[in-house]
Amino acid sequence: MDTQFITSLAIILATFALYIFIAVYNKAKETSDFYVAGRGVPPIYNGMAIGADWMSAASFIGMAGTIMMLGYDGLAYIMGWTGGYLLLTFLLAPQLRKSGSYTVPEFIGDRFKSNTALIIAAICTMIISFTYSIGQLSGSGVVIGRLFEIDAKLGTMIGVVLIAIYAAFGGMKGITWTQVAQYIVLIVAYLVPVVFMSLQITGNPLPWLSYGDIVGKLGELDRELGLSEYFAPFEKGTKWQFLALMFTLMAGTAGLPHVIARFYTVSTMKAARWSGAWALLFIALLYFSAPAYAAFSRFILMTQVAGSKIAELPAWTKTWVDTGLLKVADTSGDGILQWNELIIANDIVVMATPEIANLGIFVIGLVAAGAMAAALSTAGGLLIAISSAFAHDIYYRILKPDATDKQRLKVGRITIVIATLFAGLVALDPPGAITQIVAWAFAIATGTFFPALVLGVWWKRANAQGLIAGLLVGLAVTLSYIFAAKYGGFTILGIIDTGAGVFGAIAAFATNIIVSLATKPPSQEIQDAVINLRYPEQMTYKDGEVYMED
Amino acid sequence: MVKKIDKIKADAYFREKNTYMVIYFIIWAIVSYGVVLFAEPLSNVYFNGFPFHYFMGAQGALAVFIILLFVNAFVGDKIDKKYGIDDKRNEEIGRNTTVDH
Repeated sequence: MDTQFITSLAIILATFALYIFIAVYNKAKETSDFYVAGRGVPPIYNGMAIGADWMSAASFIGMAGTIMMLGYDGLAYIMGWTGGYLLLTFLLAPQLRKSGSYTVPEFIGDRFKSNTALIIAAICTMIISFTYSIGQLSGSGVVIGRLFEIDAKLGTMIGVVLIAIYAAFGGMKGITWTQVAQYIVLIVAYLVPVVFMSLQITGNPLPWLSYGDIVGKLGELDRELGLSEYFAPFEKGTKWQFLALMFTLMAGTAGLPHVIARFYTVSTMKAARWSGAWALLFIALLYFSAPAYAAFSRFILMTQVAGSKIAELPAWTKTWVDTGLLKVADTSGDGILQWNELIIANDIVVMATPEIANLGIFVIGLVAAGAMAAALSTAGGLLIAISSAFAHDIYYRILKPDATDKQRLKVGRITIVIATLFAGLVALDPPGAITQIVAWAFAIATGTFFPALVLGVWWKRANAQGLIAGLLVGLAVTLSYIFAAKYGGFTILGIIDTGAGVFGAIAAFATNIIVSLATKPPSQEIQDAVINLRYPEQMTYKDGEVYMED
Repeated sequence: MVKKIDKIKADAYFREKNTYMVIYFIIWAIVSYGVVLFAEPLSNVYFNGFPFHYFMGAQGALAVFIILLFVNAFVGDKIDKKYGIDDKRNEEIGRNTTVDH
C-alpha cells in the first residue's frame, strides 16, 4: 500500500463520514420528508443541492475528457447542460410547484385525470433514471478501480453496494443537506487541479482567463502534426449533430424527473425562480472550468508526455493501464511514444490529469473524493426518483391506496436496492462513455416528459388520449433512433444516437397535439386547473373569475 | 379574506410575464443556436485569445444564461409587487394547497 492509496482513501472516507453524519442527523421520519424534504428548503441551498444532484459523474469525470476528444464539438455539452435551466425555470418549474404534486408522474396523473397516464409516466421516470444511473455506477467504477488499482468492473461492483446502502437509508431530507455538503466537496475538488494547472502552465491562477492562449497553441500543435485544429468547428460530427445534441440536452434538462423533483421542495413559485437562478450559478462554476481542464490536459499530454521514451514513462501510466482504460502502444517501433500512439479513454482524463501533471498526492486524493461525491449525490437523487415512481405513484396510488407510511417506505427502499443491482449489472460492461450513456437518458426525457409537461402546463386543450399517445410515440421514436444509430449506423443529417431526442420531441409534440384535437376536450374542471397555473399562489382561477386572497 | 379581482388584471399579470419570457428566449437562442449556426465565419474573430465561436460555446453563452435567470428572478419579483402579491402569504397558501397524501 503506497502513500497515494492511503491519502486518497482517507480523504474519501472523511467526506463519506461527513455525508453520513448529516444524513443520520436529518434521518427521514415521515414520508413527506422522505420524498420532498417537507418543502421549504431556502433557494440558495436548494440551488446547491440541485447543483450536486445535477453534476453527476458525467459532468465531473466524463465531460472534460469528452471535450478534449471532441474539441469544439464537445462544447454542445457545456451549452446544452446549462441552457436547459432556462427552459426548466421559465416554462415548467414554478407552474409545477403551484400544482402541489409530489412527483412528475403524479402531476401527469392529476392533470390528465388518468391512471393509465400516471402508470406510463412512472415507467418513463424509471427508464430515464435507470439509464442515467448506469452512467453513475460506471463512473464510480473508474474511481474505485483506480483507487485500489483493480479492474474498473470490480470497482463498479463495490460502487453498487455503496450507493444502494447510501440511498436506501437517506431519503430526500437527508439528501438535501448532504447534497449541499457534496456540492462543496465536488466543486473544490474540481477547481483545485484546474487552478494548479493554470499556474503551472500559464503562471496565471485564473484558468478561465488564461486558457484562451492555450486553446490557440493547441491549434498550432495540431497543425504541425497535420491534424485538424482543436477548436475547428464540426470536425467530429455535422453541424446538425451539434444542434440536435444541444437541443436534446437542454430539453432533457427540463424533463428530468429527479431534477424537477427538486423544485417541489421549495416553498413558492417565487422560490422556484430563484432556485433555478442559484442552481445555474453554482453549476456554472464547474462548467466554466471543464473546457479549461480539457485544454490544459491536452496541452500537458501533447507537450510533456508525447515524445518521451516508452521505457521511461512515469509511474502513473502503469496504474491507469491496469484499469484497462489507458493504452500505450509503440506502433511505429521507434521506442518513443507519439501523440497518436496514446489511447486515453474519455472517462479517465479528469482523474488521470492531476497525476500526469504531478500535482501531489493530496490533490489526487481530493479529485477522487470529488468524483465519488458527484457519482453518489446524483445516484442518490436518481434512486429516490425511481423509488418514488414505484412506491408512491404505482404502489400507493394504484395498487394499494390504504398502504401505511411504513409499508410505503419499505417498498421504496426495496425498489432502490433492486434498481441499483440491475443498473450495476449493466454498468459492468458499459455500453458507452459516461457522457454518452447520460446523453441517452436526456434523449429519452426530451422525447417523453418535455413535450408532455410543456403541453400539460401551457395548453389546456391537451387531453389524456393525446398525452398517452405522445408519451408512447416519443419513447418509441427516441429508443428506436438511439438503437438504429448506435448499432445500425442509421443517421439523418449526420445526427447520431446522442442527438436522438430531437426526433422524439418532434414526434411526441405532433402526436400529442393531433390526438388531443381529434378527441374530446378535457373537462371544464381540468381546463380551469390549467389556467390556474398561470397565476401566483394568491390568485385562484375558478369558473371564469379570478379570486385573490390577502 | 378572498375577494374577486378583475380577470383583466390577472391576465395582464400573465401577459407581462410572458412578454419578458419571450425576450429571454430570443436572447437565449441567439447566443447558443445562433452562434453555432454561424460558427465558421465567427471562428476568424478572436476574443481574449479564443476564436469567438469557441469563446461563446465555452463561456459566453453560459454567462448570458446566468444573467437571464437572475434578471428573470428580479423582474418576476418586481411584477409580483406591482400586482400586490405578497410572498409570505403565498408561502402559507402553498403549504395548504398541497394535495393531501
